[in-house]
Amino acid sequence: MNKLAVKMERQARGVHHFNIEHRDDMTVLDVLEEIYRNHDASVAYRFSCRIGLCATCMMMINGKPGLSCMKRAEPGCDGTMSLAPFLKGNTIRDLVKEV
Amino acid sequence: MNEIKTDILIIGSGAAGLTAGVYAAQLHKKVLVIDKGAVGKSGSTVGAVQMAGLGEWSNPLDDERAYMRDIENSGRGLSDPALAKTLVNDISKRIEDLTSWGLKLDRDKSDQAAVYPTAGHSLPRSISARKGKTGLGILQTLIRKAKTLSENLHTWSDVITLDLVKSSTRVIGAVVFDLKKNKPYVIKAKAVILATGGIGQLYPTTSNPVQSTGDGYSLGLGAGASLIDMEQVQFYPVSLVTPRSVAGLCISFYHYSNLYNTFGERFMETYEPETLENTTRDKLSIAIASEVVAGRGSDHGGVWLDISSQLEKVKKEFLHEFNICMDRGIDLTHGYAEVGPAAHFMMGGVHIDVNTASSVPGLYVAGETAGGLHGGNRLGNNALTECLVFGAKAGINAAWESNNYEDQSTVTAEALSPFATKLLDTMSRSVSGSVKSYQIKQRIQEILGTHVAVLRTDEGLKQAAKQLEAVDDLLDQVEMSTEVNYSRELIDYVEGAHMLRTAKAIVGAALHRKESRGAHFNSDHPSPASNIYHTFVTKENEQVVIHTSPKGEK
Ligand SMILES: Cc1cc2nc3c(=O)[nH]c(=O)nc-3n(C[C@H](O)[C@H](O)[C@H](O)COP(=O)(O)OP(=O)(O)OC[C@H]3O[C@@H](n4cnc5c(N)ncnc54)[C@H](O)[C@@H]3O)c2cc1C
Ligand code: FES
Repeated sequence: MNKLAVKMERQARGVHHFNIEHRDDMTVLDVLEEIYRNHDASVAYRFSCRIGLCATCMMMINGKPGLSCMKRAEPGCDGTMSLAPFLKGNTIRDLVKEV
Repeated sequence: MNEIKTDILIIGSGAAGLTAGVYAAQLHKKVLVIDKGAVGKSGSTVGAVQMAGLGEWSNPLDDERAYMRDIENSGRGLSDPALAKTLVNDISKRIEDLTSWGLKLDRDKSDQAAVYPTAGHSLPRSISARKGKTGLGILQTLIRKAKTLSENLHTWSDVITLDLVKSSTRVIGAVVFDLKKNKPYVIKAKAVILATGGIGQLYPTTSNPVQSTGDGYSLGLGAGASLIDMEQVQFYPVSLVTPRSVAGLCISFYHYSNLYNTFGERFMETYEPETLENTTRDKLSIAIASEVVAGRGSDHGGVWLDISSQLEKVKKEFLHEFNICMDRGIDLTHGYAEVGPAAHFMMGGVHIDVNTASSVPGLYVAGETAGGLHGGNRLGNNALTECLVFGAKAGINAAWESNNYEDQSTVTAEALSPFATKLLDTMSRSVSGSVKSYQIKQRIQEILGTHVAVLRTDEGLKQAAKQLEAVDDLLDQVEMSTEVNYSRELIDYVEGAHMLRTAKAIVGAALHRKESRGAHFNSDHPSPASNIYHTFVTKENEQVVIHTSPKGEK
């Protein structure tokens, strides 16, 4: 199985790096679930429908806004997939925005 | 503990909860709508595609009686006629209200409201808005309306309900946990409306959003309400089984499709020679599950869907689903999709009367959390209808009740239930143990997926009951850090506890229905019994207690 390098901007806690098991059909949300379950149980992210309707899973993925449940997980130009909170609005923690 | 006061507390901000909120606020009551997710963006309502109903756009042959007859036929004898009657009588007014608040119905070529046929409805009576994103359109309309009532109506996102609070026989509020601040609160209310949606997440494969963990049934039980026909879990017959990221996605256009088993046989010719795939959900789910059990299924435990002859219709009416399939490598234009039943809708639920009152004073219930309307099989597109009609009833009746109730007391720690006290205790400190909270949920999904899915047996149900007892111990062995706010571990822990209470109710009810009826198919009792009865679940001393009663009695 391949590995995927992920870096996550976590405000005060800084930038964290993860190296996760990667399957081809994984979405960014699948990657976050993998991190929560097997790497760091404290990561905070928001989602609901998993099918691109509610928009609550919106975040910055490799520098661009995107729905984590719809976007296929892949590395950015530097070989690492970067995740950060969506730019607008208050961030509650990690990738979770105030609604 | 911090205390907040309101006239009416509404738990859940899907179509049912927000409808209730708007109607109650219009009667000048102070209303607070809370949601464990983002208000108006978190429940099943977001995914709903069409809504059945009546209106000036109806087929000239359609009326209340025809609609009511379809609901009763589909309910397999278990649908409550008084609830069905309320639904068909009220729905046209509710849709008129929504359109007057700005909801625009989708139009057909001649610029009339487009009306679609749906399996099980004898006439076309489904409408849509926002090009098939009907649930979303309804929520946005309700939120907009709620903003005009903001003096009375407040919403609060990211706050999860642990249990309801009672004073002797009456529900007087709820104990909740604010995920943002990592802090518990007691919300005191003159009336409480439960509108927490369904149970899909109790199963490994589901169409439902992550929040559908059956909290409302658990909360109702905890407060002493009784649950009706909880064994009636609707599986959406045709959902993707693979790839994993979209497993459970409903294929809403299956009535246009051909289904084949792995030997290339169009098996519905054997099960339902007249309607073929265009049959009700209970029958289609049982047929597909039977093919798979007989060894005629696909590698991933499904069957094959072919839609190639109806592509234009599908793209026009169900573009969003079509695009998701294409994006995830399922080429509907040339190939087949692998599909099977996924947990979709709870037809059972908290037992209510036509005013949405439960048996516990002060507690109203609306939407999917309420039981009895759909009986043994919900007709497609009747869930949104239910949310609008009974959401409004709940809002109006809770508002009236709050006129007659006054209570100045504060809630002491002793007044909280043992269930709430235990959750609060664990959540107030980090605990070290051997189980992660998400694993508790996974274990419940495994048990229900194995023994309590479409095809059930006496032995399997007994196993499930026994295995669920063992999950109690897992809750005590949980490992959790409670130092950070918005903790997923904490959400999973609370949801796991609710899922367990609700799962026990489902299994208990299923064990007591010694027949096959509607969505409940037990291979050891494959036919319907000659007498029609309901199952009822209540709670005594933290244990679920089940009894059956002939239809028409409690
Ligand atoms: C994919 C999909 C497609 C569907 N398509 C259709 C369709 O086309 N037509 C149709 O009629 N029906 C459809 N249904 C069914 C229908 O959408 C639902 O039955 C209905 O929307 C339920 O509405 P509700 O208001 O009862 O609950 P929901 O919309 O599920 O809302 C419940 C809310 O309660 C909140 N909540 C839950 N527990 C707690 C707690 N402990 N504390 C605080 N908040 C809590 C949740 O976060 C959620 O926001 C579909 C369902 C799905 C999943
Ligand atoms: S989870 Fe709803 S859009 Fe991604």
